[in-house]
Amino acid sequence: MSASRAPVTDGLAATDDIGWAVRLLAATPTHEHRDPELLRRWARAADAFGAALAPVGCEARVVERDGGLELGLLARYTSRPPTVELFTDTLALAERVVDARGWRDWYPPGSVRAAALAHEAVHVHLHHGPAKAALKHALGHSALRLGRLRVPGHVAGAEEVAAHAYARTVCGLGRSPLLLTAALAAEAEARSGSANGSNPPPARDARREN
Amino acid sequence: MGVVILLVMAAGVAAMLTRKLPTAFALVLLAVVIAFLSGAPLTGKNSVLDTVLQEGAPALAATMVAIILGSWLGKLLDETGIAGTLVRKIVEFGGDRPTVVALGVLAVSALVGTVTGSAPAAMLAGIIGIPAMVAVGVPKVTAAGTVLMGIAVGVPFELPVWQFFSTALDLPVDTVRGFMVKLFPFALVAAVAYVVIENRRRGTEHAWSLKSVSARPAPRRERLGDAPWYALLAPVVPLVLALGLDVAIIPSMLAGVLYALVTTTRPGEMNKRLLRTLYGGFEVAAPPLALFVAIGILLAAVKLPGAVDALEPLMKAVSPQNPVLFVIVFTVLVPLCLYRGPLNVFGLGAGIAGVLIATGIYPAVAVLGMATSYNQVFGVADPTSTQTVWAAQYAGVSPQQVMVRTLPYVWLVALGGMCVTAALYL
Repeated sequence: MSASRAPVTDGLAATDDIGWAVRLLAATPTHEHRDPELLRRWARAADAFGAALAPVGCEARVVERDGGLELGLLARYTSRPPTVELFTDTLALAERVVDARGWRDWYPPGSVRAAALAHEAVHVHLHHGPAKAALKHALGHSALRLGRLRVPGHVAGAEEVAAHAYARTVCGLGRSPLLLTAALAAEAEARSGSANGSNPPPARDARREN
Repeated sequence: MGVVILLVMAAGVAAMLTRKLPTAFALVLLAVVIAFLSGAPLTGKNSVLDTVLQEGAPALAATMVAIILGSWLGKLLDETGIAGTLVRKIVEFGGDRPTVVALGVLAVSALVGTVTGSAPAAMLAGIIGIPAMVAVGVPKVTAAGTVLMGIAVGVPFELPVWQFFSTALDLPVDTVRGFMVKLFPFALVAAVAYVVIENRRRGTEHAWSLKSVSARPAPRRERLGDAPWYALLAPVVPLVLALGLDVAIIPSMLAGVLYALVTTTRPGEMNKRLLRTLYGGFEVAAPPLALFVAIGILLAAVKLPGAVDALEPLMKAVSPQNPVLFVIVFTVLVPLCLYRGPLNVFGLGAGIAGVLIATGIYPAVAVLGMATSYNQVFGVADPTSTQTVWAAQYAGVSPQQVMVRTLPYVWLVALGGMCVTAALYL
């Protein structure tokens, strides 16, 4: 497994859970120009919100399927019809990565699947209930201020941070699933790099005629 | 000889479809072959060298200048953060309602579409807009289609497009503008319907993606603050001047460039920024400029007397004169503008439009109606058009998926355009 020898992945675990949440927010479009300290504050607020959520059941249909590595996905929630897809090939790779990195204490056997279900359950919860407004309130971001009038602003990516924090808490994981996601991303990148020999051309370079 | 010319055109379409030849090269080659087949001499009046190549190449010069100015303004919108600020504000205001965010990105795309076209327009609205929509739960195909449908809403007010149809079809800009204003409601209704219906049908989507965090820290990016609110009006300045105050196209676009500059840039940095974005605009404009040189050459070839004489009987025999039949036939033929097909107005379709006008089969304004209706389809659903390829790839889906999802909506736009054309001009 290439994960054990890829130099870029050295010390992934040295970054704390909030650090990974900040990286997720920083990589989310609309935050390109944000102050890192503001992103850290939002990451903390979203993480605390997710960790404090009462356990929610997942009433969506659960489907297991292959092809997650090709899509770059571990799990996916779609609202019509409410369905959670779990990608078995990515889950299997995740278990192997946990073993290879010696992270079994943090992610016990079968916990990645449970975390995926918990993560998507939060998306269902936020999609259908009033919790989304509560998350917005917890983040405290204003889209507009006119005297006393304050319009709360949406923070893209915060829901994802909250979902990971919830999964970490309810599944009793030692570290955030975001750390495992970063390790999986490195593994998938190493695999696609060795398969293709080089990176695919970016979409910007698509042949242009008009 | 008319049949031979049509066969040559078919071969040209095949070369473009199979990507044996880039469209611009294929059009020039077609023009030279058509000119020789029409019996044009090498030099002199109505000749291959002097008329087709020498006079044809700069025939669409006014359009080319408008394209350069549009690309320049587009570069300014990008570099000054105006486009990014528009999208960010929309996400902040409407982020927990995916349909609202998508409608907002649609509006920004429409604004951008009035300024510039093709892949640069898709990039301006989509680089932040597509991932921002995906982040709030809009499915990827819907997100890519939203940007394209939005640009198509702006296309009826894209000033370089007015200039193109005005020059290519030899019509006053006022006439082009008059028809575009009638086409706009169809494009707008179809785009809003697309966003609302597709978001309702497909719902929201959230994924645990491996790409959400990277093992490598994100590279330091240049931090652009939000552009001031009054700078966000820059994309509408050319439109207000050209549409509302009847100012000519090129000065209207120059005013947009100056407005974007003075509202975002310190006086000491203006010269540097103006030059940098102008040169960047040339790079963006290069592909359409090459195409417009080629289209000018093709138009010159199909207007040669020999070509008109050869094609007139054939075209008359197959072109419906009854208004109802006109609408039915040309609406059914909509797919022929896809995949660089013969009705693509930025390809062989321009030549066919030239033939229809030169032979007097339809009035020029009816050909305008037909060509602009096809343009609304091509600009969104053609899987080989650069904006569609870019938007789809950037969203992580295939251009064909975007075509399947958007085609029904833009087909209806074309139907609307054909109905207006038949009702008013036939």
